[in-house]
Amino acid sequence: MTALTANTLPTTARPLGRRTATIMLLQLTNPMTLIGWPLAILGFIYGLNVAIYALISSATGGASSVEVNGGVGFIWVYTLVMAVQSVNQTFPLALGFGATRRDYLLGTGVLFTLLSAGYAALIATLAIAERAVDYWGIGLRFFDTVPSFTWVDFFLGNLLILLLFASIGAATASVYVRWKATGMYVFWAALVIALVGLVFVITWTESWGAVGEFFAAAGVLGTLGWSLVISALGAIAAYLILRRATPTNT
Amino acid sequence: MTPALEARGLTKRYGSLAAVDDVTFTIAENAITGLLGRNGAGKTTLMRLITGQEFPTSGSVRLFGAPPVENAAVLQHTCFIAESQRYPDEFRVKHVLAGAPRFFANWDAEFADELVDEFRLSTRQRIKKLSRGQRSAVGVIVGLASRAPLTIFDEPYLGLDAVARQIFYDRLLADYGTNPRTVILSTHLIDEVSQLLEHALVIDSGRIVIDAPVDELRSSAATVSGTTEAVNRFTAGREVAHREQLGGLQSATVSILSDADREAARSAGLEVGPVSLQQLIVRRTGGFTTAPTTIPEEATA
Repeated sequence: MTALTANTLPTTARPLGRRTATIMLLQLTNPMTLIGWPLAILGFIYGLNVAIYALISSATGGASSVEVNGGVGFIWVYTLVMAVQSVNQTFPLALGFGATRRDYLLGTGVLFTLLSAGYAALIATLAIAERAVDYWGIGLRFFDTVPSFTWVDFFLGNLLILLLFASIGAATASVYVRWKATGMYVFWAALVIALVGLVFVITWTESWGAVGEFFAAAGVLGTLGWSLVISALGAIAAYLILRRATPTNT
Repeated sequence: MTPALEARGLTKRYGSLAAVDDVTFTIAENAITGLLGRNGAGKTTLMRLITGQEFPTSGSVRLFGAPPVENAAVLQHTCFIAESQRYPDEFRVKHVLAGAPRFFANWDAEFADELVDEFRLSTRQRIKKLSRGQRSAVGVIVGLASRAPLTIFDEPYLGLDAVARQIFYDRLLADYGTNPRTVILSTHLIDEVSQLLEHALVIDSGRIVIDAPVDELRSSAATVSGTTEAVNRFTAGREVAHREQLGGLQSATVSILSDADREAARSAGLEVGPVSLQQLIVRRTGGFTTAPTTIPEEATA
């Protein structure tokens, strides 16, 4: 076997696509973390809801009050949790394995975009399916949260929400990875001040009416479309923060 | 021979603390270098600087001829197993072994499996449930099986039992023999690894205090032992690093002995022996002391 010397070592990096895939596959090595558990928990919540709604339906003699159920929001929040854990737990490992921060961030960004798209497509399909079986006859509107929505509307709406939660999770986790507990204190304090400041300014300028009009005019999808601004800012923040972060194993 | 690694004026400050303070050194290719030093001496910071995980305050590092920071072409040749490497919570041993190969061009899966058996791990075990020593073993397995051209082990055997440590040393030496690569091993168990090391880099308070081949270090000092009186007579006026008294017998570590010195010592009825690397480094980082001018009481009694 020849010795690995600087003269014989390849001096070009592997193709970017392969490096990105390597990061994605590292996080999918245990598929339960990002796919298995969320689907299992969602299925469990759904099953529980079917049971409860069936009980109510039989108790009220079949009278089904069609009400929107917020259960599907679980997957939104869980996406935030997954983004936090991914950044917090795989970043130090990937760098130890010789990945660059840039490759890591690119791989993680692509991975969560694909995951969001996958979950959005799944929810959209289940929403239409739910409509097709008339909510099982027990009025359970678990996935079909907006009656006027088409499959594409559901897909886009959920995709935008999932991207929003993923980017907020990634940005928050990157603050922690780089500055640890101190970073968290400053981050949350700054966030609270910013939100209170925003409410103050809106109230002071008596703009609540204008705010309401804005959302009413934008509609559900329009409003969600605006969330892309926050998602983009979150992703950029995560990128800039982690580009200068040193992984520690604490 | 081109060095695997070159550091020039490398400095990392955290506020007023210089964790690594203006160090300049090279690390030879295809050698096992020991990065030795006390707790907080700057070993880990230095290793992070080498692998581009930490950004230097000033100075430069060149790894395989290029700066490592965010350099995929260079970093793909590195494997840095941190002292308490974290793994994702839901990872089992098999997930580590499945995720790692895509990062390392020379990964040897068979070798990894053998090591899992030797360290008495099971691929089904969850990393979170492993003991401190078993987690260290996982890091050792990845580091060895990666066959990365630059493999860095930071205190690789924390919590490892004596048998497991010996397996690590034996496997590292054997595999290094067939697949030469550059290995940096940080440790404070100096004597245990001294047989492994070709070069010693000793860091203290962020500065490199010794940068020498281990053979040269070993021959730079010797122990002379015999009756206290004879030892004292021989060491009078010489630099003595360390004395050990046992009853009427004394053993002294003295700096470089010429052949004539060795002959003189032997004819004075003294035994001349090699010095332990650990003793030498402990003394060297503490500084040599000249022989006491007053003869210790036991000698005059």
